[in-house]
Amino acid sequence: MTFLAVVGPGFITASVDNDAGGIATYSVAGAQFGYSLLWIMIPTTVALVVIQEMTSRMGAVTGKGLSDLIREEFGFRVTFFLMIGLVITNFGNIMAEFAGVASSLELFGISKYIVVPLAALFVWALVVHGTYSTVEKIFLSASLFYVCYVLSGILARPDWKAAALSTVTRPDSLGFRNYGYLSMMIGLVGTTIAPWMQFYLQASIVEKGITVRQYKASRLDVIIGCLFASIVAWFIIVACAATLHTIGKYNIETGADAAQALRPLAGEYAYILFAAGLFNASLFAASILPISTAYAVCEGLGLESGLDKRFDEAPAFYWLYTALIVLGAGVLLVPRFPLFRVMVLSQVVNGVLLPFVLIFMLLLINDRELMGEHVNSRGYNAIAWFTVGAMIALSIALLIAQARG
Amino acid sequence: MSLVALSELLGATVRDATGTVRGRVREIAVAPQDHPTRIAFLIVRTADGERALPPNALKAAGSSVRADTEASSWTRYTPSDGVLLLKRDLLDQQIIDVHGRKVVRVNDVELECTPVNSHLLLDVVAVDVGARGAIRRLSKGVVPSFTLRALLARIPPRVIPWQYVDLIETDPARRVKLKIAYKGLSQLHPADIADIVEDLPPAEREAVFETIDEEVAAETLEELDPDVQVSIVESLDKDRAADIVEEMDPDAAADLLGDLPEEQSGEILKEMEPEERQEVTQLLEFPEHTAAGRMTTEFIAIDETAVADDAIEALKKFEGSREALATIYLTGPGQRLVGAVPLVRIAISSPAVQLSTLSEPYVACAPDTPESEVAALFDKYNLITLAVVDEHGRIAGIITADDVISMLRRKD
Repeated sequence: MTFLAVVGPGFITASVDNDAGGIATYSVAGAQFGYSLLWIMIPTTVALVVIQEMTSRMGAVTGKGLSDLIREEFGFRVTFFLMIGLVITNFGNIMAEFAGVASSLELFGISKYIVVPLAALFVWALVVHGTYSTVEKIFLSASLFYVCYVLSGILARPDWKAAALSTVTRPDSLGFRNYGYLSMMIGLVGTTIAPWMQFYLQASIVEKGITVRQYKASRLDVIIGCLFASIVAWFIIVACAATLHTIGKYNIETGADAAQALRPLAGEYAYILFAAGLFNASLFAASILPISTAYAVCEGLGLESGLDKRFDEAPAFYWLYTALIVLGAGVLLVPRFPLFRVMVLSQVVNGVLLPFVLIFMLLLINDRELMGEHVNSRGYNAIAWFTVGAMIALSIALLIAQARG
Repeated sequence: MSLVALSELLGATVRDATGTVRGRVREIAVAPQDHPTRIAFLIVRTADGERALPPNALKAAGSSVRADTEASSWTRYTPSDGVLLLKRDLLDQQIIDVHGRKVVRVNDVELECTPVNSHLLLDVVAVDVGARGAIRRLSKGVVPSFTLRALLARIPPRVIPWQYVDLIETDPARRVKLKIAYKGLSQLHPADIADIVEDLPPAEREAVFETIDEEVAAETLEELDPDVQVSIVESLDKDRAADIVEEMDPDAAADLLGDLPEEQSGEILKEMEPEERQEVTQLLEFPEHTAAGRMTTEFIAIDETAVADDAIEALKKFEGSREALATIYLTGPGQRLVGAVPLVRIAISSPAVQLSTLSEPYVACAPDTPESEVAALFDKYNLITLAVVDEHGRIAGIITADDVISMLRRKD
């Protein structure tokens, strides 16, 4: 029963990983390369579990957020630049989420000028008026809603055998010579692990009050969450592979494009489920990302933070949350706003930030003064450094790919 | 005596008596059981291991440190439990208030450097929690130190005095606890309490105002920014708020009540003693940025026929602020203002002297005189108090110099 008491942070963080940007990436991967990229789901799941597990362990053992620890162990200057980077990249992501909210409901013919302000108001009111436990319950229900994609994938009538085989067999080495395949692969890995996740996960573990004693159950929360998120991602790829790729429709760019393209191929239900899933994912992420940013900045500066605090008890936390939502939603309503360029910039900052965050995490988790007996074991450390090394190499590769356009 | 920041000292080069660079400062240690504020030693990282260098072996401490002993005589540093290491235990740590709420983090630590008989004493005086420490640490090593000093001098400091920082009680999460305790506060000047209160989160402010003495609370409140005043008074319960407002200068009380929503100021007025209520209500009718809006109605005015001794008696009974006592005003028939006697002149004359003979030419202004003109009058006539007279020449109130100073500062 301890599991039910601690479930939440890990599950929510992993689910939100499949946000508007993630759904777009998975859809494009399925449409362009069919089942041939499915093998990557296993290694990314392992990477996700390893990194999220370390984050939640740090939260449970130290009782402090990631940003708290970085400030205390690495000083003010490092924290300051990290905060600026995090605000920029998260802001870009928040915009992308609201864009996802807008495009998913535009499929049903609802204007973004109505949807975006209402969505912003909804997530704002939810967090400002809710306590940690009510907000968590709502987020958890939203996580379950991702089942939409599983259903949509089933409705797409994929070739199950081919899909399963591509998931577990070694990829064809010919693919790696193809630039498009390679950059898609990097994109899939890059979308799996983002700095905001570590800040959010650790802060919410702390706010939920999970301690070392409950840690085993909490680890299960993280692992199940990561598995569920990967299964959802797998179904998104499969849905697009079984339909769009089969008929040769490769040129989609967003999740909304994918939903629309599915309609004539997989039927009305698959279309509605896919679009509803996109709406749910975007809305949900549009709330979590600003929370993550507000946690990180307030911890770094030592200001009061948390969903359980009232607005006047943690003014900086809530004002930052409010500002990110108002600006992130607001720019979508500005005609001719260079949305795409801001998002690219934020992706670049994301790529620059990630190596630092991951390296700081590894240094922190191996600090015996901080973690005591809960430092990484030698074997685990090998896996962790390998994962982090691979993540860094891929995110640098992604940066280079983006720089080339 | 000069202030030096912890972040300046950390990493500073250390020279020995011969002027050769021997190492860099790594840590600074306080031994609380020996002395609560005094620096016990600097830990210097040298080519030959770590050395503990006591401040009494130092000639200068700043962005570079000079010792007046040979490097060979410096004792080896051995870690021990009882010492407080400023970088490890204090810098960047979380500050929490008495309720355990997070307030801010330590951006820097201010040390006071006092030369005594050709060596130095170093004491921790305050923790810096403001922009100044933040900017110093961001630009350290990037901006030349003299430019940085000039820049930092322009930033108002935000510090918490060391005596309100509690590190004795060890916190497992290594947080720094504030003991803005109720005992400590009452010994402070209200203006200093105000400084501390301004940096606290709302709940802690409220806690402070609920526990300190009403008179001190009133004076502290007067020293705070109008916005902060309003938020504090709104958070207090009406009885307590009324008790504090009663103790305030009527002019300050009127300004404060004027800033509150009408419903709340009404409730507070209702709870106040009738006499104080009347004074404040009168003042509330005047526009805020005029002489009348700034004046206090608590002052001493006595009949021009009185003698110096009567004035002394009146002083003894006076309950208003001391600033208002600088001048005793004389009134003629129909309460009309006829003269002003500086307190000093009464003090140095014999008790039987008639006050009118001590009177000096007085300066007065009309109730609707704008603030800027009031300030100009103070400047021109070097006033300590200024009388405000109505259209019949009757004295309605006085403005004191401290009000003018805060009024001018607020405009900046």
